Amino acid sequence: MSDIKTLIVDGLWTKNPALIQLLGICPLLAITTTLVNGLALGIATTVVLICTNSIVSLIRHTLLPSVRILIFVMIISSLVTTIDLLTNAFFHELHGVLGLFIPLIITNCTILAQAESVASRNSIGKSIISGGSAGLGFTAVLLVLGGFREIIGRGSLFSGIDMILGDSATDSFIKFPFDGALVAILPPGAFFGLAILIALRNLFIPTATIEQRLETNISESHG
Amino acid sequence: MLKYPLFQSFYGGVHLESHKNTSNHKQIARDFLPSRLIIPMNQQFGSDAIPSVKVGQLIQKGEVIGKPAEKNTTAVHASCSGRVGAIEKHPVPTAGKVSTSTCVIIETNDENNIAAQKPPLFKNHLDKLTAINHAGIVGLGGAAFPTAEKLNRKSSHCEMLILNGAECEPYISCDDLLMQEHATEVLRGALAMMEIVGAELTVVVIEKDKPKAIEAISNAIETIGSKCIRLTDIPTMYPTGGERQLVEALTGKEVPSGKYPIDVGCICQNVGTAYALDCFFQLGEPLINRIVTVTGQGVKNPQNVAVPIGAPIVELIKFCGGYDGEVSQLILGGNMMGYTVDTDQLPVTKSTNCIITTKKATTPKPFEIWPCIRCGECIPVCPVRLLPQQILKAYENKNFEELGKLGLSECIECGCCDVVCPSHIPLVENFRKAKHLRMQEIKSSELSNAAQKRYELKTQRLSSQHANTEKLHADLKESIKESSKNDMIKAAVERSKKRRDKK
Amino acid sequence: MNFPINSSPHVLPITSVPIIMRHVLYALIPSTIVYVWYFGFGIFINMLIASIAALISEAIMLRIRNRPIKPSLADGSAIVTAILIAFSIPPLAPWWLPVLGASSAIVLAKHLYGGIGANIFNPAMVGYAILLLSFPVQMTHWIPPQIENLGFQNIDLWSTVLYSVTGSLPSNLNLDAITQATPLDIVKGGLKNGISINELRSGPLFSQLGGYGWEWINIFTAFGGVYLLYKGIIRWHIPVSLLTSITIFAALFYLYDPNQNLSPSFHLLSGATVLGAFFIATDPVSAAATNQGRLIYGASIGALTYAIRTWGGYPDGLAFAVLLMNLMVPLIDRFTTPKIYGQQQ
Ligand code: SF4
Ligand code: SF4
Repeated sequence: MSDIKTLIVDGLWTKNPALIQLLGICPLLAITTTLVNGLALGIATTVVLICTNSIVSLIRHTLLPSVRILIFVMIISSLVTTIDLLTNAFFHELHGVLGLFIPLIITNCTILAQAESVASRNSIGKSIISGGSAGLGFTAVLLVLGGFREIIGRGSLFSGIDMILGDSATDSFIKFPFDGALVAILPPGAFFGLAILIALRNLFIPTATIEQRLETNISESHG
Repeated sequence: MLKYPLFQSFYGGVHLESHKNTSNHKQIARDFLPSRLIIPMNQQFGSDAIPSVKVGQLIQKGEVIGKPAEKNTTAVHASCSGRVGAIEKHPVPTAGKVSTSTCVIIETNDENNIAAQKPPLFKNHLDKLTAINHAGIVGLGGAAFPTAEKLNRKSSHCEMLILNGAECEPYISCDDLLMQEHATEVLRGALAMMEIVGAELTVVVIEKDKPKAIEAISNAIETIGSKCIRLTDIPTMYPTGGERQLVEALTGKEVPSGKYPIDVGCICQNVGTAYALDCFFQLGEPLINRIVTVTGQGVKNPQNVAVPIGAPIVELIKFCGGYDGEVSQLILGGNMMGYTVDTDQLPVTKSTNCIITTKKATTPKPFEIWPCIRCGECIPVCPVRLLPQQILKAYENKNFEELGKLGLSECIECGCCDVVCPSHIPLVENFRKAKHLRMQEIKSSELSNAAQKRYELKTQRLSSQHANTEKLHADLKESIKESSKNDMIKAAVERSKKRRDKK
Repeated sequence: MNFPINSSPHVLPITSVPIIMRHVLYALIPSTIVYVWYFGFGIFINMLIASIAALISEAIMLRIRNRPIKPSLADGSAIVTAILIAFSIPPLAPWWLPVLGASSAIVLAKHLYGGIGANIFNPAMVGYAILLLSFPVQMTHWIPPQIENLGFQNIDLWSTVLYSVTGSLPSNLNLDAITQATPLDIVKGGLKNGISINELRSGPLFSQLGGYGWEWINIFTAFGGVYLLYKGIIRWHIPVSLLTSITIFAALFYLYDPNQNLSPSFHLLSGATVLGAFFIATDPVSAAATNQGRLIYGASIGALTYAIRTWGGYPDGLAFAVLLMNLMVPLIDRFTTPKIYGQQQ
């Protein structure tokens, strides 16, 4: 039980892919211009993570070590392609916004890292929980960053929610009484935002601790 | 026929506010006779001289009281007549700090006759150099390096003798007055040096802010009528007086790192040294007094004084009218490269060219120090072409490798960077600390390298031993296993036999 | 007697950081006066607001970073940053524009990198860039020169203050009517629409040499720059190389096609060229350190400014040119290290 709890806490916080492992930064920076965009990409990534983890975990005994990465990538790409087509079919507008970044989920290192270090060594249950929590952790960061940039950059929140919830939600976003500083939704804003998040994280888990942990991990895996 | 245009250019440096006129309007005072002398036996270079007198002994001015311990060091003479009061340890200013050394203390008397001396005669070149050492003659520019040693430095060819009368330190005026009052003697001394080193040319270098000295020297050159002495007046710029800087300024050549000016065909001597040499060659007088500039706001009558070596500073100050109110610092040497001392009970040594008494504190208060703003002011003023701001950064990061690359060891601690820094960072102080730390670091890394090597050897030895024992154990185990296997099989066979037998 | 022991050199320093900053402020006086002559008192309001914002953010950041507050506030560097920002935003601006500019300059560009001396980028230009990227509309609408015979509607001091505080104008004034694009902007837009330089320059916002009014502001800024040179606060390398390189590029293209390219004098005397050359690019902290490096640094800023003005997306490229070259400074420094005395061969 405590095992599962650590898995969940790891994914959400102590080994959060975006804030601590700093994986998948490219889509993270590019997509989070609004909260809704962040949410959509987060959900897509989480789904891919859970699916890949379960498939990889199922076939983990038959995997040939020498070609495992190849197989992971094939699994991930088929899943991503499916999701790409599905969003295109059911959330066409959203697909237009997220554009290239859905296919690019394939290159998100979080997924590969999960497949390699968790799914190929653990039971399917554990793998799904780990993948799900890592995905949720990633999504959380996307949400915070997206919300932050949207508020500052546009003075709104939840704009474009209709792309997910349908036309009935067209007007249900919040508009703040200012226009916002455009820089926040331009690329520099993404870096500023992520830097601020990492700085905040540093208050709780200093980078030095993370490096230490990495070193011990490396020496453990070598020893 | 001159190979060199006489002034090329001078890299770096700063214009400093001159304080020479505090002390240079009076003639050199020659009637200073201290009541007591503290004559140090230690030398700036090489091992200490050995006292050759006994307590209570009456001695005459100019008598040898300390014999050189090594061939290359100089003798020590009594600079006034009197009685040896004691031979004891006493604090002495040496090479930038105060340290204790054996000193001969002389209670002086009024008898001011110099011990009978006559102009020396030399059999050969070597004889001459030894004689110079025995006359106690050292460089009087401040470093006090034995003159004979410097003149004897081997090189293919010495083309030029540079007679250094630049005197770039803003407070010092002793060379200025010496040149004004004894131009002929100075030049005669230079000619003698030229003969020793075999140079073709002597260049007297004087900064433009000393018009009287320039006039005196050029008149003297005319009187002597020698074609091989030239006078060059160079712009007033600190630190033109540095040996290496002067060589570059006059010849455009750089003295390679770790080498001496002689390696590019030059030799630098201070004008004071030339004068001392002339006194020795003409009168047989050893180096027993030197001219000291006593100056600054904190002394009543700032002036230049001919001071017997070993005179206590406190008496010298009294001779100059005493302190004028509260004095904040006592500086030996110039205000740029000199050092502060905490007491005036120290003797004047051969390297003491100036004593400054200041009234205002010159160190910035801590809240007036800002971080380096990278303004780069320190870069063009560095005569060695270092990057002081980068050195500072490397020092703050304790990056010793970088410090080496940036040329920290080449820093002459001239202080140019320090004065121009708008952030008031005590750069020179930091560099001194950095040099010290770096030396320690190098030493300890050498030590640790040695230790590392020892450790590696040991582990190798141990591991080979270990391997041997391992093998032994393994063999043993193997044989035990074998035998126990056999035993087990036997037992089993027996058991089954028994069972069969039972049936 | 006992005397204290100090390290050499025993000299009082020649200058200090506050003195430098003070001279920089003095040097900006002439251009401020001309600026007020042409564009009214709006810049004073902006200067005031920006300075207060800069000082407050400086104090807060120093507090957070546990540094002594007083000496750093007193050194005047925050004020210089604020004043430079005030120069680069329109005279008629809502109060939060200078506040955001100054505080982001101090917080983001200065203190997040470690305070004075440690900032990689020029704080004032970071502040300006953030404003320009965030509020392109407010940042590019300048009021025209407030000279009677130009035929524009003028705005008085009271309305300016009112606009700054409340964001709205008295009912007899219309924001669109009283603001214009800057000359560089007009040229940029006009060229895109196929209007030739000659036609463009016949507009009322232009004069013989550059933008109307701007030429005198730039010339008086240059006087201030010469004062700084004379006082030894800055060295000639950056301004000279910067102005020379802009002139050379402008001249080449101008000679090639005077109808599509602005004349060198226009480039020199409009926008922030001279201010940039003497006051912005010479910011010591973010500039190259050696004289040789400064020549390269200045010339590259000039070239980049010309390129961004001519082909880039923004009318005046100086700020971006400075920021880009700030990034190159460590590299430039590396390649321009002087040879140490005696270590040749
Ligand atoms: S003290 Fe050293 S670093 Fe500073 S100017 Fe002199 S030589 Fe250069
Ligand atoms: S002079 Fe001082 S502040 Fe300027 S670069 Fe050198 S060390 Fe830094």
